Amino acid sequence: MFSKIKKLLQPKIKTLGNALAKNPLVIRMLKNLGFRDYDLPLNQSEDSKFLVLLIALMSFLSVLACSGTFALNDMAARWSSGLENKVTIEIAVETKDGHLLSNNTVRKETKKLAKGLKHSPMIKSLTVLSNAEIQELISPWIGDSLTLNDIPLPGLIAIELRNSNEKSLNTLKSDMLKLSKYARLETHHEWLGDLINFTRTLKNLSLFITLIIAGVTIIAITAGIRTRLAIHQKEVLLLHAMGATDHYIARQFQRHAMILSLKGGLIGAVLGLITTAVIIFLSAHSGTALIPTIEISGTGILLLCLIPIIASVIATITSRFTVLRNLSKIP
Amino acid sequence: MIKFENIGFKYNESGEEILHDVNFTLELGSYHFLTGPSGSGKTSLMNLMSLGNMPTEGQMTMFDKKISTLKREDLFELRQRIGVVFQDFRLLKHLSIFDNVALPLRIMGESDQNIKNHVSELLDWVGLEKHKNNLPPTLSGGQQQRVAIARAVIGRPKLLLADEPTGNLDDEIGFRLMGLFEQLNRMGTTIVIATHNSNIIEQFGHPCLILGNGTLHASQSSNAPIAQKIRNVF
Repeated sequence: MFSKIKKLLQPKIKTLGNALAKNPLVIRMLKNLGFRDYDLPLNQSEDSKFLVLLIALMSFLSVLACSGTFALNDMAARWSSGLENKVTIEIAVETKDGHLLSNNTVRKETKKLAKGLKHSPMIKSLTVLSNAEIQELISPWIGDSLTLNDIPLPGLIAIELRNSNEKSLNTLKSDMLKLSKYARLETHHEWLGDLINFTRTLKNLSLFITLIIAGVTIIAITAGIRTRLAIHQKEVLLLHAMGATDHYIARQFQRHAMILSLKGGLIGAVLGLITTAVIIFLSAHSGTALIPTIEISGTGILLLCLIPIIASVIATITSRFTVLRNLSKIP
Repeated sequence: MIKFENIGFKYNESGEEILHDVNFTLELGSYHFLTGPSGSGKTSLMNLMSLGNMPTEGQMTMFDKKISTLKREDLFELRQRIGVVFQDFRLLKHLSIFDNVALPLRIMGESDQNIKNHVSELLDWVGLEKHKNNLPPTLSGGQQQRVAIARAVIGRPKLLLADEPTGNLDDEIGFRLMGLFEQLNRMGTTIVIATHNSNIIEQFGHPCLILGNGTLHASQSSNAPIAQKIRNVF
């Protein structure tokens, strides 16, 4: 089927391509855009394929590293904003002196606390978590096979404060202890801080990897351009002898590097985006709450799509400076 | 005016001196032959005149500008005033004849229309108009030589340097080619032709710069005793 379509379309595409290539308007347009034949035979070099492949690989890794950075950023933001102004009051099953409370006592203490705090002016909303909700929360650790009657469950009250400053937290704590000596206030700040620090470290690591990839790309392009300068030294010297400025010669190399890096960058970025999409899909359908859902914002996706352009800008600038530096040694 | 005063040249600091104490003056619009045995420094002197290399000693004046006082950036414009015909042609094999000849004009930033007009006119002049879309390797040695000349003169250079331009040609084509140079000279181009061919030097009767052992042995303004001078140096 595919070969039939290919057979049918190939001659037509070829005819159209030839017609366009001979069209004076198209020729003029392409020339205006700088798409004239190179003065130097740069596009005939065999190692162009190697450079395209290398840049494709670097772009692929950059997309993955940046995806990681954006996903971690998004995750940390979700965690922070999700818990902003939120605290939890727990009636723990075990008291400070090691005694176990009965389920009945836990429920009674929870109700008493909820009733007492409900109309507090600093509280925006208050929800007593049902046993089903508590079980859902702890099921990733203990599984669904155990029934509620098998284990003692704490009482949990989720509270959203109007303002989570130190003063309101202290007031809430003292009100809470007046109502129940078994109550504990969990502000989430401690473990959330650790988690955010850990996420930030991972994010910085991803950024560092991206920088290393950019560095390796610059080194590879510099080496590639130097090799081409050596291969085409005779032609470069000829242009120089004719009065071509260093910028005239450099433009040819930078255009060559730009086209190759765009090609490589697009291939790598497409493969990287597909891989990222697969990872996002797998994380969303993992079926366990222990693996967080990976999400990348629209801006993040847009930035990932810009990677081929960024790669081509890096390649263009690198090749320009490499050529100019080398040409400056010629009298 | 082109003036060389006590010019010395070597390719590197510790290397052998290729040229030493070279002194001569070329008036604009003049026509000179440059001759001397192999290894006498003809190509090195041509390289200096084309601003491909800088002298290691002495003072070089090109088009009334002292080269040592100029910045590197100023040399690009000066090089555009010089046309060079290389002994090995140095045509770009991947470009058509048209694009090879158009190269100096593109470097100068001429418009496409101007390039088209001038290149077509010049290719017609050297008899290669119908080959304009061919690649250099498909042409004979003589045709490639004519392309190289067309490329050297397309930018209307003030100075034309040709290194053994008749070396790859038979006598008849060689003499016709020399006729082209005569025409260019009559149009005001200063011409320096490096050649071994004493027949051509005698026949065309232009002044001759004779190099031997890296220095200028004679700078003759007439061709009468030139044959003897050349024989002495060779």
